Amino acid sequence: VQPLRIALAQIAPRLGDLEANLARHHELIAAARDLDAGLVVFPELGLTGYQLQDLAADVAMRAEDPRLADLAEAARGLSAVVSFVEESPDHRLFIAAALLEDGEVRHVHRKVFLPTYGLFDERRFFAPGDVVRATPSRLGVGVGLAICEDFWHVSTPQLLAMDGAQLLINVSSSPGRDLASTNEVGLGTAASWRTLMRTYAQLTTSFVVFCNRVGVDESLSFWGGSEVIGPTGAAIFGAPMFEEGLYTADIDLGDVRRERITLPLLRDERPELVGREWDRIVRGRAGLAEDTGQ
Amino acid sequence: VSTDGVEVEVDAAAEPMFELPDELAIDTGVARRVIAEFIRGQLRQAGFERAVLGLSGGIDSALVAYLVAEAIGAERLLCVMMPYRTSSPASQGDAEAVVAALGCASELVEITAMVDGYFGADGVQGEGGSDSLEATALRRGNFMARMRMATLYDRSVPWRGLVVGTGNKTESLIGYTTLFGDSACAFNPIGDLYKSQVRQLSAALGVPEAVIRKAPSADLWPGQTDETEAGFTYPVLDRLLFWRVDRRRSVDDMVEMGFDRTLVERVDRMIAGAEFKRQVPPIAKLGPRTAGVDYLYPRRRPGSART
Repeated sequence: VQPLRIALAQIAPRLGDLEANLARHHELIAAARDLDAGLVVFPELGLTGYQLQDLAADVAMRAEDPRLADLAEAARGLSAVVSFVEESPDHRLFIAAALLEDGEVRHVHRKVFLPTYGLFDERRFFAPGDVVRATPSRLGVGVGLAICEDFWHVSTPQLLAMDGAQLLINVSSSPGRDLASTNEVGLGTAASWRTLMRTYAQLTTSFVVFCNRVGVDESLSFWGGSEVIGPTGAAIFGAPMFEEGLYTADIDLGDVRRERITLPLLRDERPELVGREWDRIVRGRAGLAEDTGQ
Repeated sequence: VSTDGVEVEVDAAAEPMFELPDELAIDTGVARRVIAEFIRGQLRQAGFERAVLGLSGGIDSALVAYLVAEAIGAERLLCVMMPYRTSSPASQGDAEAVVAALGCASELVEITAMVDGYFGADGVQGEGGSDSLEATALRRGNFMARMRMATLYDRSVPWRGLVVGTGNKTESLIGYTTLFGDSACAFNPIGDLYKSQVRQLSAALGVPEAVIRKAPSADLWPGQTDETEAGFTYPVLDRLLFWRVDRRRSVDDMVEMGFDRTLVERVDRMIAGAEFKRQVPPIAKLGPRTAGVDYLYPRRRPGSART
């Protein structure tokens, strides 16, 4: 048995107010420690708020920013996932999530897929990340970080799991929309997300941790509903929709081994085949592939 | 009642309060949660604790009053009733019933003197000039809406509240609204709800039945109703707008679905013709950074709240 208590910080960040949000993070990291959590997860852009537009540059931090180092120090003894606007040395701005462990920034994931359609305009303000990589963790399992839209691309959870993640963590600022009464939980966005997370957990035989914010930025209302899904695809915990709070869920990381022995989907993956076919498709789209007639 | 609509009934014996097309039905519980948080968020970000709105006796402003009361408490809401001398006394009664049911503050500000002072009355010319006595209903209606706007924004100062918008999605899309008049507000909680959805949500919140049942009207002259003036019913118009706008159906798709081509094309023209009412006026792009073009900030950020 490898028990882990996960604390989901389903917060409503103050838009553009880095100092207030940092203070809130410190509070909740301390609260998570008091609750004996081993992992505390904050939502996408929990340190800055979501609908930043031109404010993004004003609240950006370098990965080595002392304020992040302070958070890492505060989180010593547990693992924390926090999200912020990262400015790279060449001054690109990224939506980033960092894993803080042992007093340091262990890993930074830069959001790869930036939705720029419908109500979203992320690519106007941010650069896309170029790396999807799992990271070892003090929790004893590989951790895969992803940010919101990253999980609307099936390649993200698959790559993270194949790269060694057993705990997939998606941090989100998902705006609620579509109130049609026919929806499973009264909100189209929530129904879609719930389907995705269960599917990914089962197909990757991994834990999926989803932390979504609440509150309002401008026109957008964020619906919360953070969840923890087990490697069988079954929900272990669901936080209420729209309610701010620090919610805990207890998991047994040993479930991953049991499920992967029972259902060896990852063993049977064919990364070399997938890579080959992707490569062919990429070359084809660039007008470089020959038609083999196969 | 159309064959694909559901009837919402108060009790088995009664006439349905309204017709709600299936595809427009919303989860009212979720809507209330989202809207309440939206209202609180808008006020908090602006540094206000109170709200003010114009209460006409119609369903839209009644619903917003209920939503604001639910979000921040009735004691923080001021409803201003602003009748003109020809306004229906029944509307006034309905507005008072809403105020009584909610227990919120209210004020009565007659706009008759303001409007008649401009257009004139009883054959005596007003400040609006020699042709003002013969002003069209459109001019008079727009002017009344703007006098109400001016009144609301003034009353908002001593009340120390934000003006809450009460326009719905149907009227916004077809342009059945006065620019800088009834559409003027600090924020609008129901601007993305069609009239049919306004009715559904009103029923869920317990808005008085008489308000839900009566025919929507701009009340610019006795007996006026939206539906006789426009020539279509709200359930039909709402369905048309939903499929055309939200679901991106082409005109041909719409005709295949059973909509009348002439009506679809007419509504298309109304939507296009009202685009200017839904947007902030364009500023000529001249400098390095221009508001709304390449100077893009949230309406509220640290330092922008009233202190």
